[in-house]
Amino acid sequence: MLEALYKKNKKGRFDALMYIVSAIFIILIIRLFYLQIMDGEYYHTKAEGNRLRMVSVTAARGVMYDRNGQIVAGSRPAYTVSIVPTGQDIDPDELNRLATMLNIKPDVIQSKIAAHKGGYEPIRLATDITMDRVTMIEEHRHELPGVTIDVEPLRYYPYDSLASQLFGYVGEVSEDELNELKAENPETPVGPGTILGRSGLEKMYDDVLRGIDGGKQVEVDATGRPVAEVGRKDTIPGRDIHLTIDLPLQKAAEKAVADQLTSLRSQGIPAQGAAVVAMDPNTGAILAMVSAPGFNPNWFARGITSAQWNQLNNDPNHPFDNKVISGEYPPGSPFKIITGAAALELKKVTPNEMIFDSGRHWLIDKRNAEGEALGWLDFNTALAKSDNVYFYEMGNRVGIEELDRFAKLFGLGEKTGIKLYGESSGNLASPEYKRKVFDQDWYLGETFDAAIGQSFTLVTPIQMAMMMSEVANGGIRYQPYVVSRIDNSDGTPAEIFGPKKMGVLQVSKTVMDLIRNALRDVTAEGGTAGALFKGWPIEIAGKTGTAENSTGRDHGWFVAYAPYDKPRIVVVALVEQGSFGAGSAGPIVRDVLAEYFHINGAGTDNKNGTNANGSTTGGNTNSVTNNNSLGTTSTNTGNTASGSTDASGDNSSNTAVTGPQQR
Amino acid sequence: MWHRIWREWDWTVVVCTLLLISVGVVIIGSATHVNRDGLDINDLVSKQLMFFVINTVVIVMMQWFDYRRLRSWGRPLYFITILLLVAVMLIGTSALGAQRWIQIGPITIQPSEFTKLLMIISMAQMMENRVNKLNTFRSLVPIVLYVGIPTLLVFKQPDLGTSLVYLAILCGMLFVAGIRMRLVQIIVGVAVVLAPLGWFVLQEYQKQRILVFLNPNIDPFGAGYHIIQSKIAIGSGMILGKGLFEGTQSQLNFLPENHTDFIFSVIGEELGFVGCVIVLLLLFLLIYRSIMIARSANDTFGTLLATGIGSMLVFEVLVNVGMTTGIMPVTGIPLPFISYGVSALTTNMISVGLLLNIAMHRKKLMF
Repeated sequence: MLEALYKKNKKGRFDALMYIVSAIFIILIIRLFYLQIMDGEYYHTKAEGNRLRMVSVTAARGVMYDRNGQIVAGSRPAYTVSIVPTGQDIDPDELNRLATMLNIKPDVIQSKIAAHKGGYEPIRLATDITMDRVTMIEEHRHELPGVTIDVEPLRYYPYDSLASQLFGYVGEVSEDELNELKAENPETPVGPGTILGRSGLEKMYDDVLRGIDGGKQVEVDATGRPVAEVGRKDTIPGRDIHLTIDLPLQKAAEKAVADQLTSLRSQGIPAQGAAVVAMDPNTGAILAMVSAPGFNPNWFARGITSAQWNQLNNDPNHPFDNKVISGEYPPGSPFKIITGAAALELKKVTPNEMIFDSGRHWLIDKRNAEGEALGWLDFNTALAKSDNVYFYEMGNRVGIEELDRFAKLFGLGEKTGIKLYGESSGNLASPEYKRKVFDQDWYLGETFDAAIGQSFTLVTPIQMAMMMSEVANGGIRYQPYVVSRIDNSDGTPAEIFGPKKMGVLQVSKTVMDLIRNALRDVTAEGGTAGALFKGWPIEIAGKTGTAENSTGRDHGWFVAYAPYDKPRIVVVALVEQGSFGAGSAGPIVRDVLAEYFHINGAGTDNKNGTNANGSTTGGNTNSVTNNNSLGTTSTNTGNTASGSTDASGDNSSNTAVTGPQQR
Repeated sequence: MWHRIWREWDWTVVVCTLLLISVGVVIIGSATHVNRDGLDINDLVSKQLMFFVINTVVIVMMQWFDYRRLRSWGRPLYFITILLLVAVMLIGTSALGAQRWIQIGPITIQPSEFTKLLMIISMAQMMENRVNKLNTFRSLVPIVLYVGIPTLLVFKQPDLGTSLVYLAILCGMLFVAGIRMRLVQIIVGVAVVLAPLGWFVLQEYQKQRILVFLNPNIDPFGAGYHIIQSKIAIGSGMILGKGLFEGTQSQLNFLPENHTDFIFSVIGEELGFVGCVIVLLLLFLLIYRSIMIARSANDTFGTLLATGIGSMLVFEVLVNVGMTTGIMPVTGIPLPFISYGVSALTTNMISVGLLLNIAMHRKKLMF
């Protein structure tokens, strides 16, 4: 009975058990259906996200060539160590091992990883590591999951700090920048790890130079170690650009600046900064551009250390500024070219009118810089000797309005428009300016100051180069430019840039010739730069300047073009707090010109050169053979004699206009 | 005897077992990259195969032995169980925060696996005479105490999974042994009320597992990692799977423990929904047959043995598959016949041998 009951009961229990078991399996299968069929796509995407990483492959940046086809900024292969983030914190042991092998502090690595929050892109930890370290890391690969070594093109500047502000530097895009770029243009080819131009031409022509980074899709394991390459997108290398810069000239200019700054400092003159620009006056092409101090852009390409960064950033002489285009200085005496042009053109003075310099002007007690008195002066002598009193009087006669108008005609007070970042427009001293900034009336004394390039007038070295170009070429304003050609990726030219005329100076040839004449006399014996070019086979037209500086020693200027009769080059040098222009900026210009005209023995060797030449020309100095020198026999009366010589040169109109001037 | 084996074995059980172990060996091979590294005698695949062969021989030899003779072994086996569990606590090696293994030569054995079967035998023996007398709480006390001691020991290792398996076996047997449903209702009621208190007896890592089970994303790279990656593996397999050896989650090591506790994730990833359902059907058939064998066994001891084995298997499948699919917390319970582990494989195969033995003997009585 009991047994029968149990049998029955037992049967029920087994059925119940079967239902329970069936229910369990049905639940499991429903769950699988849900995971694999309903949500399968979602998990599939997740799994792909786990295993696939896009690793960007850096495109090689375009090359910068100088005008002779020399590479001045290129790329070279370098080993880069990166780590593929797994989303987890890096293992402290691995971190320490890696820090030791790369010889960088663990927290530097940490912060680099932290700076790339979220992404799964490899993070560059060290660039351009040595073969020793590559080997060491390769040997310990199994202890360093996620660490990869790649060969990447690294921006390379073969001449280190040469023209550093002009060429600029590059750096990896930051997370914030990337977000900004993405917001502006979702299609931007810039991705994590892309190298961007940060300054100078690198920045200006970044779109051209950068190229488009490629990528490879790699499969990684759970530790982030790449196990296979799945796909690849080729990089598109950046396009090349050709510069107007002349590498030997640039090198010479750099050296001249460095030597001169050292020399000045050894004389106790605290000159720290300088700017030099050389330009072709017939085109506006920049041949050399130096701003000192500079920096080594290779530091940035390799990833700058904080010590290096602090050194540059705390330098009071602004190594990042391209002083040629951004430095604003009082023009000083070279401004007398403009004052003189205005006075002559407006017929406020004739070339032959003699004005007496008693050491001070008769209206206002303003004197020459050194307190000297030069006596009776005509225009030519006054400019050649840079007499202040004469030009105070010119200012007095011309008036500040006309002075300003002429300054504008020469291109001062506005940007030259050179295609570079950071150009300054300078400033013109004017009653309006004084009213606006200081809310004060204009005094005649300020016109006097403006006439000799002091007062509120500020110019950039490149503006001075433009001014000299106009004097040299007869008054055509060419826009300065540094890039002559942009290539296609196959090396054929995509765009060619040539001279761009911005205007023609409305100053008569007669006036220009008078000025040119005087400028030549500056470098002749008795001129303010007479000592500099002693014994040179070519004639130089130049002007010294010693610009008063309210914050320190005077700035030294020297502006020049050469050859006098057939100008091929304009060189402008400025030495911050270099004192006398002839002594500070002059030698720099001389060295640059010496390189350009292949004149050996510039500087101290000059004397030897002079002697050697002297034997062939019977003790005369100014020219040897290449100048068809007729009138160069007498240096003392060089003004008149060489004036007629030049008339036989290519400026055919000269004969007529120089005639009356000499009488 | 061979003739009798041929005629009277439950071939469904045999075929299901063989298929499941075969799938297991192949998937272990996939999980341990045997396709890339080649087969080696020290491989997990080789070990698993070796124990498969040995245990197959054992299963056949077991048929000359009448399971009913185990009845007298019940008490000694119980003490052996306790001894084994104590031994593990004293000389066991630790791994993953628990002491579960004993090293014997080249082989590490996990005694708690064997104790599952030992407990089934001793519990069947102990409960045989109590069938249909389980109407009062008082009648349950000796049984609860009997099972409670080893359960606590194994829980202390700590091995929550195995202790739960003991309880699952107990529940299955009590149910079949005709426990009064009223008692079940009361026990379940009390258990539900007291469950929150159970929180305090759990180890820290066990609490963590439960928290993470509720929300794996609180610790995606720690305790939640297994669950997240396992779900990704299974889900990404979709209908037909990525193909054998082609599971990226498994092959690229995103999936930890992919040859042991999380082997089902590999099946899901590489063989897809279809593969999972086939494996689950094989397991279901095996469990179904074990309940059928329990039902038709010619004595209560056999019924309880088969019930215990079936309960053990169904619980392990539920917890393991549930864990890999994210509907059960992570407990270290392997998937029967498939997960790598010679102790588990041996236990499961001998259990199957026992089932076959019970099945073979029931016919005899019917004549």
